[in-house]
Amino acid sequence: MERFLQYLFDGLSIGSVYALMALGLVIIYRGTGHLNFAQGEMALFSTYVVYQMGEWGIPIGIALIIGLAVGFLIGAATEVFLVRPVAKKSAFAVFIVTLGLFQGLNWLDSAIWGDQVLPNSAVSKQQQFPTLFPNKSTDFVRILGAEWRLKYLGVLLLVLVLTAVMFLVFNKSRAGLAMRAVASNSESAKLVGIRTHQVLMVSWGLASAIGALGGVVFAGINGTVNLNLMFTVFIYGSAAATLGGFDSPGGAVLGGLMIGVIENMAAGYFPDWVGQEMKLGLAFVVIVGVLLVKPSGMFGTAKVERV
Amino acid sequence: MTLLETHDLTAGYGPITVLHGLELQVDEGEIVVILGANGAGKTTTMRAISGVIPRHGSVTFEGRSIGRASPDSIVRHGLAQVPQGRGTFPELSVEDNMKCGAYVRRDGSAAIAADVKRWFGTFPRLAERRNQRAGSLSGGEQQMLAIARALMSRPKLLLCDEPSLGLAPLITQELFAVLEHLNRDEGLSVLLVEQNANLAMHMASRVYLLETGRVVATGTGEELSADDTIRKAYLGF
Repeated sequence: MERFLQYLFDGLSIGSVYALMALGLVIIYRGTGHLNFAQGEMALFSTYVVYQMGEWGIPIGIALIIGLAVGFLIGAATEVFLVRPVAKKSAFAVFIVTLGLFQGLNWLDSAIWGDQVLPNSAVSKQQQFPTLFPNKSTDFVRILGAEWRLKYLGVLLLVLVLTAVMFLVFNKSRAGLAMRAVASNSESAKLVGIRTHQVLMVSWGLASAIGALGGVVFAGINGTVNLNLMFTVFIYGSAAATLGGFDSPGGAVLGGLMIGVIENMAAGYFPDWVGQEMKLGLAFVVIVGVLLVKPSGMFGTAKVERV
Repeated sequence: MTLLETHDLTAGYGPITVLHGLELQVDEGEIVVILGANGAGKTTTMRAISGVIPRHGSVTFEGRSIGRASPDSIVRHGLAQVPQGRGTFPELSVEDNMKCGAYVRRDGSAAIAADVKRWFGTFPRLAERRNQRAGSLSGGEQQMLAIARALMSRPKLLLCDEPSLGLAPLITQELFAVLEHLNRDEGLSVLLVEQNANLAMHMASRVYLLETGRVVATGTGEELSADDTIRKAYLGF
């Protein structure tokens, strides 16, 4: 029981990061029907920015806000300057552009910060990547024998609050109505007076900022940032979005938490069989499984066509 | 007073030009009907006026040029389009569809809620289905929703692109009765594209007959149906 709870807590916490990644993917997919391959790398850049702020002695609260703002700008600029010009031509072109951006951003990160694990004692003043939550070894709650460290618990609470806020924004606000309208029927959205370009730009910015938050809390959990940090998170996030339904924000969050738990349970209970190295394969099993059984995911709506 | 006027309007899709210098006018309080066979350019005319497709030539609305304006700003001028094939938001509820129609309004949620209630009164079947997804409605209900949504922006001119398409004759009559009523009692001007010539001409102040992107005849419904050649070639009765 204790072991089960431990895997559950760890799974929910790490799953929160996947949930943020999936949420970002879903917001972009709903708006434009594109899978943003660069979602993880866009988040990684902002994560490095937050690391750099820490080096300059800026407290994590302010650094996070700046990091999210940078994330928003990257997303918005990507939509305006890279995606919009090619989207008219073909959806495949957008795919290639985001793939190129994936490479380009990773190269940029490596050019600025190198391929080392940061922070490290050779170049950094910080001991470890700043975390938003209490991080001493005594900072945990004990539930039925299992420990839940506050920095892990905090990530889950953060994601749940963000999900609630996003739900209200999507379903109760004028901006949310516009986003849903554009996702549903872009030409009709124009005809009722919605500035669809603006909505798409903000959607990409928002998705990228949410991804940046995911990157920062994930680096906080790990204590470090490096060039490969977000790659596995992107894979798990894609699996989560597939599981939850690519057009359902709530499904994405639930899918993320589930993937996190499945991953941790599998690696914990079958260490020889799945282990730490093989568990990424689980993401692919989930993706293929969902696509075979229910292609629209748990909460997605089946689309007749979408090119 | 002239509400909408197009002069030398040319539009099309990519390399294909569909409209060749269209001249059209809608006066305040009129119901103007555009008739024409398939491919005559009726829908293209609507899309060019509402700014969804690139166009050349001049389009003026209340004396102001809207020939280069974007679709969203054209709605703000007071010109709402009911697109062909209804164009509702299938994933959104009926009520959210209506609220989208009021997106350009800035007079507060109370006034918007009052208008939602009002159009639910006009279209009681929409009221019964207010929380259903628009995609689950029947064709006739979706058409009513599309019209109600357009009216939510409180337009001066309503562009209706073949509202009778795919509807049972009774439902079509019902819809046209609503449009006539709005025109007579509320002073709403209407530009209507139709293939259902009989019904549409009956209520039209003026009719334009379109052929391959040009106006080939114009006049009142009586004038056009009195002309034997036009009647036989275009109106089919």
